[in-house]
Amino acid sequence: MNEWWTGVAAIAGTMMVYAASKRMYRRFPAPLMLPIVTGTIVIILFLLISGIPYNAYMTGGQWIESLLGPAVVALACPLYEQRHLLKRYSVPILSGIGTGAVIGIISGLVFTRAAGASKEWAAAVLPKSVTTPVAMDITTTLGGDAPLAAMFVMVAGIGGVVVHAQVMKAVGVTDPVAKGIGMGSAAHAIGTAKSLENSETEGAVSSVAMTVSAVIVAFLAPLAGNLFL
Amino acid sequence: MNVFRIVIHILILYAFYWTGVWIQGVLQLPIPGSILGMLLLLAVFIFTSATPKWIQEGSGLLLGNMPLLFLPVTAGLVIHGELFSVLGAVLVTAVFISTLLVMGTGSWVSQYLLKKRREHRE
Repeated sequence: MNEWWTGVAAIAGTMMVYAASKRMYRRFPAPLMLPIVTGTIVIILFLLISGIPYNAYMTGGQWIESLLGPAVVALACPLYEQRHLLKRYSVPILSGIGTGAVIGIISGLVFTRAAGASKEWAAAVLPKSVTTPVAMDITTTLGGDAPLAAMFVMVAGIGGVVVHAQVMKAVGVTDPVAKGIGMGSAAHAIGTAKSLENSETEGAVSSVAMTVSAVIVAFLAPLAGNLFL
Repeated sequence: MNVFRIVIHILILYAFYWTGVWIQGVLQLPIPGSILGMLLLLAVFIFTSATPKWIQEGSGLLLGNMPLLFLPVTAGLVIHGELFSVLGAVLVTAVFISTLLVMGTGSWVSQYLLKKRREHRE
């Protein structure tokens, strides 16, 4: 019975923290103010100060987490609604995303090996350019820790948003479709939110790129991981 | 009746998710079941008269509040003190550089092909 109440409190508390951090972000829309950043910090601080073990918190937290699977499935809806974009620019879109996915996985492999990282770390780094729930699934499949994967995904997303304009300038990209492909395949959902502010086309392409990239990386990363880790 | 519809929509998404997980298990695939479920739903949209509108309330709610769903997982960093190490810092830097590479090459390749196609048409 006690455990039941802990679970209910964890669910209610997480939802309250999320609602508050979402409101904060609306007032101060900076990348480091994203609900996932501030919300995570608040929950971690709360657990550390109150001394509640993470496992006890997860008796409730796991119920929220269990909605991630259906959320990934739901990505099929925006992808289907943007299918005209995929049809119209199929070759440039798929080639761009494919290149990004392959470069991301290869550089991830090279860097983790150069740093002398263990298999567990590398498994968390490899899928860092795809949306969090998919990255966590890939990392778990490869024998790594999902929270670490989520951390690296956030670094890629926030870092990507911060440097996007400079990177586009550096490689001489001015086309909104190409810009959206870079954003979606490198900085996933966090980047897509930013692209939507830049232009409608860039945002729509970024959302397509994010989902297609998740599918490509979900096929390639486990393959690369099993071969090279 | 809105709550009722949301629950039904999420249950439908769950059904696709579990089918994906089941296929992964049976065929011993390394691809996450969630991605297989997503592809399955996409196939249903493409090959039947079903449209995303049918599950709009449920899918919109989940997609619009994705950060809430992974807050419990990211809070798990509380038991991952190893991230705050030299190796952790090196890997964060590596992830950042890799992100630049992905962004630069992906955009560049697609712009190159877009330009080429436009020239071809003119």
